[in-house]
Amino acid sequence: MRNPPDIIEVLARTQSGEYCTTKDWDTRRVPGAVRQMLQKHGLAKTCDTQNPCNYDFELADRFYQAGFELALELGYHVLDTQRTVKVSREELQNALKYAPSQVFVGEGKDGTLIKHRTPGDPYPMASVCSLGITNSEAMFPLITLGIARERAVDILEAGSLITLRGHEVLSGTPWETLLGYEHARMHLDIRRKAGRPGMGAIGCISAVTEYGQFGAYGTPGGFRTTDLALILFPSELKIDYRTLHKVIHTLNCGGMMKCDSPSMIGGMAGPPEGAVICSIACALLSYAILQNTVGGGEIYDVRYLANVNREGLWALSVTAQALARNTHICSHIIANQVSGPVTASLLYEIAAGVGVIAASGASMSTGPRSAGGKLNDHITPLECRFMGEICHAASGISPQHMNEICKELLPKYEDRLKNPDVGKPFQEAYNVERLEPTAEWEDIYRRVKAEMIQLGIPMDEF
Amino acid sequence: MKTFEEIAEAMSQAVATGDDTQAAAVAREALAAGVEPQRVFEQIIAPTLTEIGDRFQRLEIFLPEMMMAADAAKAVFAVLQPAIEFGKTSLASQGRIVIGTVAGDVHDIGKNMVASMLEVNGFEVINLGCDVPPDAFLRAAREKQADIIAMSSLLTTSLPYMKDVLEVLRESGEQGRFKVMVGGGPVTAEWAQQVGADGYGKDAAEAVTIARRLLQRQ
Repeated sequence: MRNPPDIIEVLARTQSGEYCTTKDWDTRRVPGAVRQMLQKHGLAKTCDTQNPCNYDFELADRFYQAGFELALELGYHVLDTQRTVKVSREELQNALKYAPSQVFVGEGKDGTLIKHRTPGDPYPMASVCSLGITNSEAMFPLITLGIARERAVDILEAGSLITLRGHEVLSGTPWETLLGYEHARMHLDIRRKAGRPGMGAIGCISAVTEYGQFGAYGTPGGFRTTDLALILFPSELKIDYRTLHKVIHTLNCGGMMKCDSPSMIGGMAGPPEGAVICSIACALLSYAILQNTVGGGEIYDVRYLANVNREGLWALSVTAQALARNTHICSHIIANQVSGPVTASLLYEIAAGVGVIAASGASMSTGPRSAGGKLNDHITPLECRFMGEICHAASGISPQHMNEICKELLPKYEDRLKNPDVGKPFQEAYNVERLEPTAEWEDIYRRVKAEMIQLGIPMDEF
Repeated sequence: MKTFEEIAEAMSQAVATGDDTQAAAVAREALAAGVEPQRVFEQIIAPTLTEIGDRFQRLEIFLPEMMMAADAAKAVFAVLQPAIEFGKTSLASQGRIVIGTVAGDVHDIGKNMVASMLEVNGFEVINLGCDVPPDAFLRAAREKQADIIAMSSLLTTSLPYMKDVLEVLRESGEQGRFKVMVGGGPVTAEWAQQVGADGYGKDAAEAVTIARRLLQRQ
């Protein structure tokens, strides 16, 4: 039996693997191999935009097979050395065999047990809130406290700080090491203030280079090793020494990691079908090469930098189903919205995206990405509550039923995806002192929630 | 000897399929047949590249195909350039742009999309890659006599490096010499205006529009 490569072996392969320039990787290797797999498995043009949540499980299984073969064919490209880290079939199979099927994140009664799920599985998909939307220093503690208080939110990620005591933070400098620590310290303090000291967390989103992680993860008073270290890496199928710094740091701390990289519809992987097999390959390799704990399965559409359009939803559903039915890993998939707080569109986009992911068997989802994540302080605890509720309520819904729900939801927002209503910032959407939504925002939430119940998503009544 | 129509079809096909070797070979045939380089650009390359950009917007082709088409067009320019009259900086160029992802950031897909869209729309693009320090932007812009410096970032912690470039341009009195465009995940039109950038593109198509507008104003 051949165990997956240990970190020493991975580092050695980053220097000894086959040479390939990044340009060649992007324009020839990845697109060529993806085209070949699509053809070999008869998967080209299978994206069905009229049925945005796939329920053909045999199709999902064929995508898995193609993704598995793509992982073996390509491996990861290393940006720093222009080498390729590949794994053998046996190494990949064993990495998946030994990958955890359940992970407890956090501590005690506040922690969350993330489990491998299957399509239609009633075990609740874990909700992680929010994505790294930038927050001002003044608003960060308030927004984060508001999110942590929402009981539908299982795990806290929170927004990104852009300054530290008024100073701009520069990537790759000691500022980031310091910001990582300050973010993590505040994060833990906020979880305590929210009455959930053992709540699990993911970090550090404020400073995502290795310096941020060195300051934030495993340091006294920072992110604990019962939290997940955030390890993001570039698409398609690319890693760098920055990624490996973070992996090694997490292993040194005895911690757990969430490694992710999105595949792009329209990017190097090509059509939605190509993005699905690239995303599957990327997820599988993260367990064999990066010793991932949870994660894998991201897809965005380059036209919107979102994925709640028809092609995006379809791709998310197939990827989640493929990983859920053919492995026992805990996948993590993000639904990316474009509308902002105090709009019904944002809630419809959350319901469609997160609903598809939950129904298709993902274990965990992070969001929302209110206003596309572009605008400062454009995130509120209320849409995080709504997302958490959808995560839990849509778990147990069959993909076929979710498909029918999506057909109702898409016409409510898809025309505006290119020019979305970015809504209002936290300061205008909430009574900041009382940490309560304005009547306008609360009314929209109640109305949309009632619509979701009527559509068949079993959310708790008011 | 091939007719102009035959050359046009062969060159268009070579560019559209990203075959740079074939595109260069057809360009040599065009010169041998006495076709004016300007006519090659105006009647073959420009419409072909415009169609490629439109097809990418409709997702009929994808980023690798667009990048390779831009490379094939560059191969044609490389053959035709020596044949044009002395004094013109570039045969087809609507302007010269140095582009890169700023220091601390290795995300390249957005920057590559913008670079390719600019190239297929007739700009000459010098792609500096990722993790580009401020002084490297400035050195490249001076050396290549660029019209525009275009900077991309997905990380909030890399945004200050864009400001550094603008700051150095102001300090060195070169503010008017190069136009500066910014873009990327956390960048907004408001932020771009606030830091004194000349333009902001929310996506690759808008970046082309903005670049054209900036150079028209000059």
